[in-house]
Amino acid sequence: MIRVLGWLAVLGLVAGLAAGFGYAPREAVQGNVQRIMYLHVPAVLTAYLAFALVLAGSIGYLATRRSGWDRLAAAAGEIGVLFTGLTIVSGSIWGKPTWGTWWTWDARLTSTAVLFCVYVGYLLLRSLIEDPEARARYAAVVGILGAVNIPIVHFSVKWWRALHQPSTILGPERSPIDPAIGLALFVNWVAFTLLFAYFLSRRMEIARLEEQT
Amino acid sequence: MPSNWGYVFAAYGIAAVALLSYWRHLARRTHALAARRAAKPRAT
Amino acid sequence: MTYARRAWIILWKDLLIERRAKEHANALLFFCLLLLFLFQFALGPDRERLAAAVPGLLWLGFILAGLLGLGRSFLGERDNDCWEGLRLTPGDKSAIYLGKLAGNCVLMTAVEIILVVLFGVFYDVDLWTPAAPLALVLALGTIGLAAVGTLFAAMTTQVRARELLFPVLLLPVQVPVLLATVSATQALLLGQPLADVAHWLKLLAGADLVYVTIGILTFEFVLEG
Repeated sequence: MIRVLGWLAVLGLVAGLAAGFGYAPREAVQGNVQRIMYLHVPAVLTAYLAFALVLAGSIGYLATRRSGWDRLAAAAGEIGVLFTGLTIVSGSIWGKPTWGTWWTWDARLTSTAVLFCVYVGYLLLRSLIEDPEARARYAAVVGILGAVNIPIVHFSVKWWRALHQPSTILGPERSPIDPAIGLALFVNWVAFTLLFAYFLSRRMEIARLEEQT
Repeated sequence: MPSNWGYVFAAYGIAAVALLSYWRHLARRTHALAARRAAKPRAT
Repeated sequence: MTYARRAWIILWKDLLIERRAKEHANALLFFCLLLLFLFQFALGPDRERLAAAVPGLLWLGFILAGLLGLGRSFLGERDNDCWEGLRLTPGDKSAIYLGKLAGNCVLMTAVEIILVVLFGVFYDVDLWTPAAPLALVLALGTIGLAAVGTLFAAMTTQVRARELLFPVLLLPVQVPVLLATVSATQALLLGQPLADVAHWLKLLAGADLVYVTIGILTFEFVLEG
């Protein structure tokens, strides 16, 4: 079952690459650099999916005390951090030719960076507690707080940026999206979700086996 | 507008390395677990 | 024994211990003084550069003091083998959380008043004119910091590398509080009316509500075991 998922993911990624490089046109304003978005946007969407699952697993564990929920939270947290890191790196690389700098404190990058820090802390907490029961409990509390905090972070960063915003140079988000670009984004998003599901299944299986050993 | 393919490949390259590394990490952990379970007598 | 009474007893106990031992208060007071020097030396003699940075420095000072003070919230219970006592308290454990939260708010408020006075004196900043709205911002920010800090302090008390983990967990979660309070403080110090920072105050109030609610709901899970 998991193997099928894995192959589907590979298929999806190949299709995504084809769509992103072959099918989608060269973007008018940004040029080819825009193709990084086929990596960046699906990565961040997948990360949000991951952290939603961390929330679900955390609540599930505290409500039922069944370790399956904790395994979900742990696996989703780990993979979520991976994809968040990818989001930040791809965003930064995209930013260099676009804005001229590797890093800028714009709303999205800043929010994503904060998200990254919150869940790295989550993983750190998990790594420092040996007793599985205490680990699951404490991680669940942090998982819930971290997730609930996400919209609060989003708004605070957005309003903070509004104070310090330099004149917006490029606003590619504003113009209507070329349907070809939209389709390429969609295909890549599906591919990333499949990959995430595959990673999640394998990681949870490892956790289950570790518990039994 | 310069071609900037270097950046595109850098981004995709890093992503590929990261995802492949994580996949290998999962594979290795699975094998290690399987080996440990095979070596231990099944405790009921 | 009522819920409120149990919370009050925790608060009273901590205040009493503090008044008798005076260890936290003295050390934190001195820490605030040192921070003053630290900021001045870090930013250099330029008066205006320092004045422009005051809102950020003020909250940086609170947070640094908070990391030290809040992280130790439950150390007394741990070191004196009172953890079991907390766990065995009958009734809703969240009363303990609220009591501890209140105590931490008192502590943080004392630190803030000291820092504000020191800033006013040493950095020659007028903090008296906007005192009332500033106090509101301080209060909201303090609750936000203490609400999460108390919860995480209880959690990390029993964990290895407590001193490292506590800041690592607390700081990312506090980003919205920091952004809101610094932005609001900056506006107020520039003479803007309270109405201008209303959206920040609403964000802070909303965040505080969320943090305290989660603290109340999850504290019993932290206290187990």
